Amino acid sequence: MDRRKLENGVFVFALCGAMLIVPPLVYIFNQPISHFGIPQIVLYLFAVWLLLIVGTALLTRYLPLAPGEDEQGDGDG
Amino acid sequence: MLSADLVIATSVAYVGLLFVLAYFGDRHTRANRSSFLRSPAVYTLSISVYCTSWTFYGAVGNAARSGLEFLTIYLGPTIVFVGWWFVLRKLVRIGRTQAITSIADLLSSRYGKSSRLAVLVTLIAVIGITPYIALQLKAITSSIQAVAASSEGARGSLTGVDDGALAFGIAAGMALFTILFGTRNVDAKEQHHGVVAAIAFEAVVKLAALLAVGIFVTFTLGGGFEAIYDRAIAAGIEVYAEDTFGARWLSMTLLSAAAIICLPRQFQITVVENANENHLRTAGWAFPAYLLLMSVFTMPIALYGLTSMPEGANPDMFVLTLPLSAGQSGLALLAFIGGFSSATSMIIVASIALSIMVSNHIIMPIILRSSSNLGQRDGQGVTNLLLVSRRISIALILTLGFLYFSLTGDSDALAPIGLISFAGVAQFLPSILAGLYWREASLRGAATGIFVGFLLWAWTMFLPSFETVSPAVAKIMAEGPWGIGFLRPENLFGLNGLDPLVHSVFWSLLFNTGFLVMGSLLSSQSALERIQAAAFVDVFRRRPLPQRNFVRGSATANDLFFVAERVLGEKRAGALFESAARETGVDASMLEPTPEFIGRLERELAGSIGSASAHVMLSKVLAGGDVSLEEMMQMADETQQVIEYSQQLEKTSAELRLTARKLEDANTQLRELDSQKDEFLSQVSHEVRTPMTSIRSFSEILLDPGKLDETQRQRFVSTIHQESLRLTKLLDEILDLSALERGERNWENRPVDAEAALERALSVCDALLRQRGMRVEHGDRAHVTMVEGDADRLCQVFINLISNAVKYNDAAEPLVRVSSTIRSGWYVVEIADNGPGIAKGERKLIFEKFSRGKRGAVDQEGAGLGLAISRQIITRMNGTLELVPGPLPGACFRVRLPVVRNP
Repeated sequence: MDRRKLENGVFVFALCGAMLIVPPLVYIFNQPISHFGIPQIVLYLFAVWLLLIVGTALLTRYLPLAPGEDEQGDGDG
Repeated sequence: MLSADLVIATSVAYVGLLFVLAYFGDRHTRANRSSFLRSPAVYTLSISVYCTSWTFYGAVGNAARSGLEFLTIYLGPTIVFVGWWFVLRKLVRIGRTQAITSIADLLSSRYGKSSRLAVLVTLIAVIGITPYIALQLKAITSSIQAVAASSEGARGSLTGVDDGALAFGIAAGMALFTILFGTRNVDAKEQHHGVVAAIAFEAVVKLAALLAVGIFVTFTLGGGFEAIYDRAIAAGIEVYAEDTFGARWLSMTLLSAAAIICLPRQFQITVVENANENHLRTAGWAFPAYLLLMSVFTMPIALYGLTSMPEGANPDMFVLTLPLSAGQSGLALLAFIGGFSSATSMIIVASIALSIMVSNHIIMPIILRSSSNLGQRDGQGVTNLLLVSRRISIALILTLGFLYFSLTGDSDALAPIGLISFAGVAQFLPSILAGLYWREASLRGAATGIFVGFLLWAWTMFLPSFETVSPAVAKIMAEGPWGIGFLRPENLFGLNGLDPLVHSVFWSLLFNTGFLVMGSLLSSQSALERIQAAAFVDVFRRRPLPQRNFVRGSATANDLFFVAERVLGEKRAGALFESAARETGVDASMLEPTPEFIGRLERELAGSIGSASAHVMLSKVLAGGDVSLEEMMQMADETQQVIEYSQQLEKTSAELRLTARKLEDANTQLRELDSQKDEFLSQVSHEVRTPMTSIRSFSEILLDPGKLDETQRQRFVSTIHQESLRLTKLLDEILDLSALERGERNWENRPVDAEAALERALSVCDALLRQRGMRVEHGDRAHVTMVEGDADRLCQVFINLISNAVKYNDAAEPLVRVSSTIRSGWYVVEIADNGPGIAKGERKLIFEKFSRGKRGAVDQEGAGLGLAISRQIITRMNGTLELVPGPLPGACFRVRLPVVRNP
């Protein structure tokens, strides 16, 4: 994919993540009901959190490496 | 059974273990550059220094008191790390290219290496972090007390020791440990690999401890998530977070997002200690994952504690007291070690980060300013000075933390104290973000913004934290200062009905950002500020330019080496100078300090003592007077050069335009002449051909004998003769002209009577005039006038002019007017006619060779050389022949010749 679009995608992803955990979107899931004995809102917040972690890990794979440095060690490793 | 003595002994042993880890970690990374200690995993784990004992103990307490609100402390940083590509990556890249040593250094460097801003930021950071350090002391104290109170006889040697004394002991121990740990040497890039290794180890310990307690409480004691929630609902605890998501949720998320960037210890770990920019790729998702694991069991532990522990138990200590009350001594010890790890890692990194800031930005500048000449200092140099000042700073910072702890008492829960610090350091956020993305953000804007934000924070949040211990503060809170209710700390400017945290965050950040923006718009940046702003904002856009903030002053390489040796140590300074000498290909002793080299040296120094101090130090040595002025002059000089260059370009292009126009004119003239010449050539050919044809045909007839009588023969021969004469005349004219032009003809000017020549010409033309029936009008005539020249040639010119007037005149009553005068030393003859005149387009060409008036009859004899020859002749006599507007409708030629004074 085009690198600029990918960067914009990362930005939108972070922005969406931020919007999902603050009002008013969070109100949608803030109902007094439970699934598997756990309140829905707790499940929702952790699910969003997990999604952000997995999404970031996936997106990062496509982002270019910093110039002049390898992925693991430092310099001449 | 677990006793206070045992946990204290364990703590000391654990600290010893950390020390050993740090020691070997340092040795390992020094010996082996690609050590696993420089891996992304260790980097990510070390970032989790964010999770302090506030997280370890306080999150459960917070969950027990306010439900899901504790999650905001993790969600804010999660968002920042998910978007690592934007803010964190830029910070890390800038940190590495500019050799940034702390958050104060970052802000000072961005805003023109201002020492004053660095001091301001350092002071705010120290004040802002003080409650946070107090929080750690409080957490450790509470946890030891919790163990001591857990059973009969557990108190042991702590009998009779109160919280204050215990906290003092802990603070002193921590200070000692941190000094031994973090200030063994002044490093090149202010990186502490050993410390980072120990912090990473502590991160594993605290995660393992919290997960162990969480699993034990949730599954062994509570019987799973569902059972715990059911029990909580049965006990009447609100689990659905009806009122959680309000302004406070938003503010706390914002604050924690700001904290992960602005907290000095986070900046130290994430930016300064970063060994490789690509480590962020892992940390971007792994750190949020770490946070997720840290908080999975927070809610169950809190709910189980609330339902099972006796009324009045401190929920902040549930993590420790639940295993204790279940009789799990081993697990309780692990939990204690986990909490202790969280606290120690925070104290170590925070006090190292703060001590670097204090020593680089407050102590060093004072020393630099007070000592007039660095060379006169003793041989110990700046390195020792730095170490000593850092050790003192660490002791000072922990003392402040202890004082805050003893002043505020132990009535507060852990979470609010941490939030005070978060809101304090969040005042850096607007200036950092503006510094990264807004080129126009200026020093004045940033300094006033941070200062005003800090004042509002101190008034609306820091001061109220003393409410319970100080009656004076309580009075201000209730009535306002001097009874002005308008200024009450938690109802500032009459804004009521907001949560105190939201209230404080709103006002402080609003004014902070407002002053930053207005200050930047209303003030102008210095040259150095502009350079630094570009270096920060465009850090990804261009290749790093060599920093050139100094022009070469009077300093020699020796002076510079002296400074470098004091700060960097002999070995590194030597290596730096030798490599520079190698690059330029001279001996190290002959090294000439170029601006590029000085820039590099400044960067190296900045890595040890901060950019502002390095700048001050070098400017002192370089003795270049006001550095910013010199920089300004350099910039002005460059601008001047550019302007001059563009002016030269403009001038050249104007010249080129002019030349081009001249060439164009010349070209047009040439073309016209060329076409005239073609026309003339065809004319000449025609005229040559006519006599030649008749000569040929007559000679052919003559060649045929017998048919002609003598009379006819005679006639033909005379015709041939006439035609030959005509041809000869034509050729003579051409030859004459070219000879005149080339100046080959012998020519001698001698005084002649011009008037006589004119008279002679008139009489020669008399016959021609009569033949055409032309009237001659005589104008004024001069008397005998002597000019330099040749009488015959002069007469030839007059004849030519008069005969032209006759030949081209087709008027019904042809008229020619001849006049001569003497005007200011010139003899002037004008010959005018009432003919058709000369068309405008031809006027220029009329004197050219081969030119003849277009209106001239085609059968005119003459090759159009007459005027050209005449002009040549007059020119040779130092006179002029021109076409002028005359008294008659036709053309008027004017001859001017200089009069010879009678001797």
